[in-house]
Amino acid sequence: MSDTPLERIRNIGITAHIDAGKTTTTERILYYTGVSHKIGEVHDGNTTTDYMDQERERGITITSAAVTCEWKDYRINIIDTPGHIDFNIEVNRSLRVLDGAIFIIEGVAGVQPQSETNWRLADRYNVPRIIFINKLDRTGADFFRAFDTLKEKLDIVALPLQLPIGEEDKFLGVVDLVEMKAIIWEGGELGAKYHYEDIPPDLVAKATEYRQTLLDTAVSVDEKAMEEYFEKGDVSVETLKACIKKGTISGEFRPVLCGTAFKNKGVQPLLDAVIDYLPSPIDVPGIAVALDEGVDETLHPDRRRIPANPKAPFAGLAFKIINDKYGTLTFVRVYAGTLKSGDTVMNTTKGHRERIGRMFQMHADKRAEIKEVEAGDIAAFVGLKDTGTGDTLASSDDPVVLERMAFPVPVIDISVEPRTKEAVEKMTLGLQKLAGEDPSLRLRTDQETGQTILSGMGELHLEIIIDRLRREYGVDCNIGAPQVAYRETISKPHTEIYTHKKQTGGSGQYAEVKIVFEPMERNGGVVFENKVVGGSIPKEYIPAVEKGIRVQADTGVLAGFPTVDFKYTLIDGKYHDVDSSALAFEIAAKACFREGMKKASPIILEPIMDVEVTTPQDHVGDVVGDLNRRRGQIQNQESSGSTIIVRALVPLKEMFGYISHLRSMTKGRASFTMQFHHYDPVPRNIADEIMAKSA
Amino acid sequence: MSGARLHWKRGRQEEGAGVPPRTLEWVGYNNAGEPIARVVRVQGPLSLGWRSFRAVAMDEAASVVELRPSCPPDGAAWLACVGPRVVGRADQPLRAVRAVEDSLGDD
Repeated sequence: MSDTPLERIRNIGITAHIDAGKTTTTERILYYTGVSHKIGEVHDGNTTTDYMDQERERGITITSAAVTCEWKDYRINIIDTPGHIDFNIEVNRSLRVLDGAIFIIEGVAGVQPQSETNWRLADRYNVPRIIFINKLDRTGADFFRAFDTLKEKLDIVALPLQLPIGEEDKFLGVVDLVEMKAIIWEGGELGAKYHYEDIPPDLVAKATEYRQTLLDTAVSVDEKAMEEYFEKGDVSVETLKACIKKGTISGEFRPVLCGTAFKNKGVQPLLDAVIDYLPSPIDVPGIAVALDEGVDETLHPDRRRIPANPKAPFAGLAFKIINDKYGTLTFVRVYAGTLKSGDTVMNTTKGHRERIGRMFQMHADKRAEIKEVEAGDIAAFVGLKDTGTGDTLASSDDPVVLERMAFPVPVIDISVEPRTKEAVEKMTLGLQKLAGEDPSLRLRTDQETGQTILSGMGELHLEIIIDRLRREYGVDCNIGAPQVAYRETISKPHTEIYTHKKQTGGSGQYAEVKIVFEPMERNGGVVFENKVVGGSIPKEYIPAVEKGIRVQADTGVLAGFPTVDFKYTLIDGKYHDVDSSALAFEIAAKACFREGMKKASPIILEPIMDVEVTTPQDHVGDVVGDLNRRRGQIQNQESSGSTIIVRALVPLKEMFGYISHLRSMTKGRASFTMQFHHYDPVPRNIADEIMAKSA
Repeated sequence: MSGARLHWKRGRQEEGAGVPPRTLEWVGYNNAGEPIARVVRVQGPLSLGWRSFRAVAMDEAASVVELRPSCPPDGAAWLACVGPRVVGRADQPLRAVRAVEDSLGDD
């Protein structure tokens, strides 16, 4: 895509809890790197990466945006991701394709729930990361308290590379522990001017202590550097930087920097840290190839990896799809090889060919056409016919399938219908396109009522989708009240035999199946096993049995919710030479499910949310009492400056409309966040209510 | 460093197939060139026949010795030894070196 050598490319993400300052930091990065000539502000609705109307109106990031900038002859491709849990899919897919990440932590609150969730995601994808403790100009900001939460909540070895000089409104700059110099911002020119000077005398002792920790931790990752240290009593700045990079990539420690992006302090050293410590595409081991469905990836650490090599056969991963007025744009991270417009590649996930039309380098919603992409690049392709999020595109010379992406489970349903009959087709088309862009959005038709049901990650997620349907596809919809996405499962094993027999003239229908239904642990999914021996059911009918159960499992026996977390084993059956067919076995399997599940102690599961309420001290009693009334289990209470953070596990059903109640209860002074935690059985009385409603 | 400074050199190494050699101990020499201290990597769990050990380290004669208590404090993967005496445990080898030198300075 450009002449930048691979070792001078950084593909990074910026991620954090909502309102920690991701977009603000990105804006400063774009300004200091010369990409933009003014700084956009989230509250003014004029940032580069928040380009959607809804993002600008609401002051939040909804979709991840890719931008590219240059810093000291390095090319940095940045993806700014949303903080709100409802849009977690954006973080998920971004982290999946990035080589490194900046985690922004708020200087007042420290590590917050969404930071933890994103941190675990980055752990899953082994993403090297650096931490930026932001907002140190805020009242109540405390670098060391925020730093302590890194160890407590993320259980990591956090390694400060900087210390703050002053805090709150007296925050002036940072002590650089690598160079042992102070960096002071001069004010004016939007923070572009800063200078190095000696460390202030009152900070020398502390800086010396922290530098010793930095040396001990960083140098210990490299035995040659240790020898240099033993020989000279210190190491060169180059050696120290190389050690920090090595430890950052291996995850032995996580470097910590600090500043205040909003007040334009600390961003340039953060950019230096990106090029010094985060890996280039060739510094990481390369993406792993996928294993067969259901195989535990952790048991195969030595599986094949695809190193970044522009001369190797092409391999890339489609990680994001957007539809706009020009058509469908498919974002692809290129891991190996080189691709030109007009080339043909295999979609190895789906097994068909795709011709590459035009290719673009994206800058938020703007695009620049390019003729070629190579290993290490992130680009958007136009004209792919059937490539979805998570699909691999690869050369037919080496048709690999790359490691799959995991998508979160939707927890809220709403019914939607267009205001006019004429708009039905338009609505369906629009929703299908939106669901194609967003794998955390599911679309289905309720078989009993015929209604279109949208399932998503939260009220805000679905609200934005309906709004996009109106703005982008011109369809106004009526929506039903949000419903909890309940699930059903079983709590004891049961073996059921069902015979489907029908003789109404002509050829009849005959199939008998004997199936064992067993409960599985949460998130176990639906697993099928065939243990038929001796041909009691011919092989060609087995898939029909599997399909019959899977289809029927979408409608549970208690209240019609999808049935999950169970295993079904086909152990025996009978067939008839003339009257048996795949259809007969599918019908028998469906009926066997309906009968068998009723006898396997079915239960209803509900989503339980991890709720964090931040409230002034004088309202803690009200907040805790209210959470208890909502069937919440208080997990802990922590004080953070003058506020208290209450953490509780609460059923989602009890959380609808919570924000307005919380505001009125605390005179608008409290706020809350929540994210899905796990599914739990609903209490008996509530299960009865749910079943009565569905009857 | 507050204690006496020693001259540290790489000691025994562990070599595995396909992986770069890993240093198992750093040896501290005094000004007369005598080895007087060691920083030793704690390893484990280790199974030897029918016995299994949660934490072991090499002594001066390169024999593997069992450590008791077996569970080191949080992350303490290195032993600081002066002669046969263990003077500290640390999560990083450099910190263990400092523990050795501090203990010599205290003597």
